[in-house]
Amino acid sequence: MLAELINPYYLQVASFVLINIILGISVYIPLSTGQLSLASAGFMGMGAYTSALLTIHFELPIVLGIIAGTLVAGIMGVLIGIPTLRLQGVYLAIVTLGFGEVIRVLFVNWESLTKGSVGLSGIPHMGREILASLREFGFNPQSLGLQNNQFIFLTIFFLLLVITAFIIWFFRRQHSSRVGRAFAAIKLDEKAAESMGINITYYKVLAFAQGAVIAGFAGALYAHVLAYISPADFAYHRAVEILVFTVFGGSEVIWGPVFGSLFLTLMPEVLRFISEYRYMLYGLIIIIMMAVRPQGLIDVHLLELLKSKTAKRRQKYGAGNQKSM
Amino acid sequence: MKVSLKKVAQFSVLSSLLVLAACGGGGEQATGEKEGQAAGGGVITADIGVISYISGPGAAYGEAITSGLKLAQKEINAKGDVEINLLIEDSAGKQDQALTAAQKLMNSENVTAIIGPTLSTEMNVVGPEADLNGVPIMGTSTTAEGIPQLGEYVFRNSIPEALAIPASMTKAIEKYGAKKVAILYGNDDVFTKSGFDTMKKAAEDMDLEILTIETFQKGQSDYNAQLTKIKGMNPDLILASALYNEGAVIMDQARKMGIDVPFVGGNGFNSPEVIKIAGDAANGLIVATPWYGEKDDSKVKEFVSKFEEEYGKKPDQFAAQAYDALYIYAEALKNAGEADRDAFRDALAQVKDFNGILGNFSFDDEGDVVMDPTVLIIEDGQFKEFN
Repeated sequence: MLAELINPYYLQVASFVLINIILGISVYIPLSTGQLSLASAGFMGMGAYTSALLTIHFELPIVLGIIAGTLVAGIMGVLIGIPTLRLQGVYLAIVTLGFGEVIRVLFVNWESLTKGSVGLSGIPHMGREILASLREFGFNPQSLGLQNNQFIFLTIFFLLLVITAFIIWFFRRQHSSRVGRAFAAIKLDEKAAESMGINITYYKVLAFAQGAVIAGFAGALYAHVLAYISPADFAYHRAVEILVFTVFGGSEVIWGPVFGSLFLTLMPEVLRFISEYRYMLYGLIIIIMMAVRPQGLIDVHLLELLKSKTAKRRQKYGAGNQKSM
Repeated sequence: MKVSLKKVAQFSVLSSLLVLAACGGGGEQATGEKEGQAAGGGVITADIGVISYISGPGAAYGEAITSGLKLAQKEINAKGDVEINLLIEDSAGKQDQALTAAQKLMNSENVTAIIGPTLSTEMNVVGPEADLNGVPIMGTSTTAEGIPQLGEYVFRNSIPEALAIPASMTKAIEKYGAKKVAILYGNDDVFTKSGFDTMKKAAEDMDLEILTIETFQKGQSDYNAQLTKIKGMNPDLILASALYNEGAVIMDQARKMGIDVPFVGGNGFNSPEVIKIAGDAANGLIVATPWYGEKDDSKVKEFVSKFEEEYGKKPDQFAAQAYDALYIYAEALKNAGEADRDAFRDALAQVKDFNGILGNFSFDDEGDVVMDPTVLIIEDGQFKEFN
């Protein structure tokens, strides 16, 4: 029974959901200062390729590879963030889209390193490596009543869950900190924010770089979960897909991209039973949702409504309790 | 009171464990019985998972493959030696989708073996996972380098480029006495890039002089720059690793420019669409293919007529390869005698001299294809056998 519950299929889908949530957040952060960035696929690719190449050629531990991939993407984020500061709205979107394409073409043409469009295979798999190193300490998943692949996907899932939870927690804290308020002020009115003494350059580059770091990190994780990457994975389709997560879920609060990624990643799996029609329905759902709620599914009002409802219920429940006392 | 609570807790834990153990044991027994019965009754029932590219830009491939499979399934089940259930899942041409589909088939549906996925990139992700789980998997359209080498449980019945391209090149060189070649390829696609690698290697092995190597990108529409350069060098033969939609446009522009040497193409160039798009300009394209629908062979004719009757159009190579693949699976299943993954894998590896619609087929030690491809040339707007 337990063994049946831990089905690698569900865990695999859950892992992709978590990675997509991280990607969704990577678009949300620049967006919270009003910067629409489509470079997340490019940064994701940089993180993925950096980590994959380091772990394949230098046999670096995966953790170091992921950290290196994240850092490279972050540095690139600062480098791109500074010159594009003066751009806004569509113009920034076009530049970042261009950057993403440049990165992809680089992967395609730098054949000696990236094997071109054939892609990199044989990337160390996160779960399998963890299992192998645990084996050295004499640990055997059978002692927990689990099969090897169940254990592998369970560890990946919990690892990603912890990481994602940490990232959400971090950005929620940041949102209500000085930095978060500066972001919000810049988003509302840049000029006003500047006249209030907020260092716009610093905060905009910070937000852009944070997005890049997160995207690079997610990319590195993606490489080690899938064990194979090719330049086509980081084409502009991916950038648009990530943007849709955020726009669909709502870009006002962090729960927007979280929910958007969760819903839009689960949907194609849930709809598997109608096989070839599932993407039709998927598209239809997005159209309807966007027509009904153009600001995204989850926004500040919805959250407050929910909060006040639960608060009321709690009051009622509390009162009921007192009576029975 | 406290003590008894603890006891209750202990008891419930113990009993739930027992129930768990019983369930586990029961499950195993049940499957064992099912297989035993099947072997006794003479009909072996097996679930075969299919991962295919059914939605998205490449859905035409998936449609051809699933129609080929369904036709074969109908015939095989009618014969009554084996009973095959097909569980078809969509991958949308994406690696992550292909992987989740594979996980679903392997873990939720407990299939005996898998056919698919459609693309080599998908196979690169799904293959190692299936191998790790001990589920035999066979690609019917994965032609890139290194697919069967992914693992012991990974097979394919699609002729790899490494077999097809040298075959067509050898014949073309013999016929035209070519010494100097120009190569043209799409460098942002896995399929054409891997075809190019094979072409280059084959050209070097055959001591051909490579005049120039030109690249293009997916969706490009103007190839005059590359073709002008090639024309100036006067090659005897042009090797073009392109998918049919770009390839047809290349041929059209080349002929308009006055380049009239033959073209040798990869597997992706091999489509009747080339003739539709390029018209007369398509004459002189040489491709090697596992599938030739006009072949004078009773099996091939029967398949073509049945397929046309069922789906109202002529089968392409993807449908033919999928059709043969399921027959190979049925044969392996019959030889294995039970729907057990390991027994099935061993039986599959031993399939030899299988006579399907593609020709005489065997696996080598690694699970790769051993067979002679047919070389075709377009003449007067039609594919003809090239001798």
